[in-house]
Amino acid sequence: MKRVVIILIIATAVLNMAIIESCKKSADKPGTTPIQFVIPAGFPATKFNFSANPLTKEGVELGRHLFYDGRLSKDGNFPCASCHQQFAAFATYDHDLSHGFNNQFTTRNAPGLFNLAWESNFMWDGGINNLEVQPLAPITAPNEMAEDINTVVQRLGEDATYKQLFTSAFGTAEVNSQRMLKALSQFMITLVSSNSKYDKMKRGQYTFNATEQAGYDLFKAKCASCHVEPMFTDFSYRNNGLPINDYLKDYGRMNITNKKEDSIKFKVPSLRNIYETYPYMHDGRFWNLSQVLEHYSTGVQSSTTLDPLLTNKIPLTATDKYNLINFLGTLSDTTFTKDVKFQQPQ
Amino acid sequence: MRTVFYKSLGLVTLVACVVVSACQKKLRFDDSATPDHQLILQFNPVVDVDSLEFGKNYHNSFGEPYSIRNFKFYLCKVDLINTTDGTKYSINKDDYFLVNFADPSSTHISLDAISHTYDRISFTLGVDSIRNVSGAQTGALDPGNGMFWTWNSGYIMAKLEGNSVVSNQPNQVFEYHIGGFAGSENVVQKISLAFPLNQQVEFQSGRRTLMTISANANAWFGGQNAISISSTPVCTTPGVLARNVAANYANMFDVINIVSE
Repeated sequence: MKRVVIILIIATAVLNMAIIESCKKSADKPGTTPIQFVIPAGFPATKFNFSANPLTKEGVELGRHLFYDGRLSKDGNFPCASCHQQFAAFATYDHDLSHGFNNQFTTRNAPGLFNLAWESNFMWDGGINNLEVQPLAPITAPNEMAEDINTVVQRLGEDATYKQLFTSAFGTAEVNSQRMLKALSQFMITLVSSNSKYDKMKRGQYTFNATEQAGYDLFKAKCASCHVEPMFTDFSYRNNGLPINDYLKDYGRMNITNKKEDSIKFKVPSLRNIYETYPYMHDGRFWNLSQVLEHYSTGVQSSTTLDPLLTNKIPLTATDKYNLINFLGTLSDTTFTKDVKFQQPQ
Repeated sequence: MRTVFYKSLGLVTLVACVVVSACQKKLRFDDSATPDHQLILQFNPVVDVDSLEFGKNYHNSFGEPYSIRNFKFYLCKVDLINTTDGTKYSINKDDYFLVNFADPSSTHISLDAISHTYDRISFTLGVDSIRNVSGAQTGALDPGNGMFWTWNSGYIMAKLEGNSVVSNQPNQVFEYHIGGFAGSENVVQKISLAFPLNQQVEFQSGRRTLMTISANANAWFGGQNAISISSTPVCTTPGVLARNVAANYANMFDVINIVSE
């Protein structure tokens, strides 16, 4: 008799677990194909909340359509991809500032978009606290895409192709801002760059030549405390000694925190794909890496918020610079910049 | 033995049922009570003792004339309280409401309550920190409602916009977009309101109660902190000024009328 009771108690537990499990499953999107996000070897844990926005093949595909669609902007000319070009690792190639609606410039250099799953705050000043709400900033900025979010939602909702794409991704044809933003995030999360020569070297598939190796040794000694491997950033905000841009008067992180100790601090950018993402710095003031290295070597300006690591600048010889620039070239990932999965849908 | 078997089988079924219902239905209450009373909150905009009409001129405590063209706020986490027996029913935990006085349908909110005798109502004015950092939201929290800062993520918890001849801004506008959820910038307010004359009101089973709550625009300018339109016509970022305005408008509500039907 005792045995029967015990069996029944176990049965109860199993049944409950099964029910709870089915509960979880019912929350999943029907008819979608889940994508397992793979963390490349040696990469740290991700920050993106995958449980709140699980990647699906259909969601990513919708996001890709949205990313390349000019109808997210006021005059149809400015899709996300106008400032974020794949061949430039999703930065704007050869532009210090990017172009926006009505012949206007943006006020900062468009950063490359890759490895976003490892970031928790976005933009040069870190003002945006979740990737899902990031697209709201460029879509609504009057000098970028210049559109009202409700107008975009309405426009997409009237389009037969989008009705189909939203249905595939979310089960019904309803278009709302949350679905649009979640799909855009899903696409951006898939933009993983992890197949540069540097990555291959780490995996034992490539051997640095003497110049690259000398540059890497220098990098580890002089640059890696901020540009931490393997993401090549520590995601912190620092004042790297750039004189304030008199026209833009951009105080960076201080604009977000209202703290004067954050004055002229900007996010440490990743150095991956650095050859493709020129020009450099938050306002694109340096057109090549020689200028960047010259800045760290001799140009760093003192101020109350200057990063302590730069107090004595980073003196570099001509050979040092040559070697460093060669090493930085190993961070280019052509698998990423040519991946058909990330191209404009046909 | 047979009896025990059936009893145990009953237990299995019961536990399974509870689990099933827990997973199908959002649990809205701290306890197991079933809502049996409808509470309708009606928010009315006022300027002191007068009803507020958009575009009409009023005066604040500094004697500054002003008119209003936009008055909105978020609320959530509504509780009914009986201070005598110490009971508190959380009748709404997760749903957010955007009260927008330009949209009459948004000013009455229907909630499922539990019959009991109460003497206070409390609610959260604003959007809690979790929702400010959790990515794309929908419904009342849809960024398309014009209550979300895109450049420095976070919700505008309350908004008051209008015109005043004492404003030094273009078109003599004044704009208070009050937000901030992190640390010392947090402007989320817990509002607790006694019923009129501190009376206790019985919310009877199967009946409904209409509770009218006034929201006084003039409270934004005075009370705890002096906020004159001439000195501070604009607040559109988190910080000290936003906190000062929020501390003022935390006192803008009064329960003015309760009708049981």
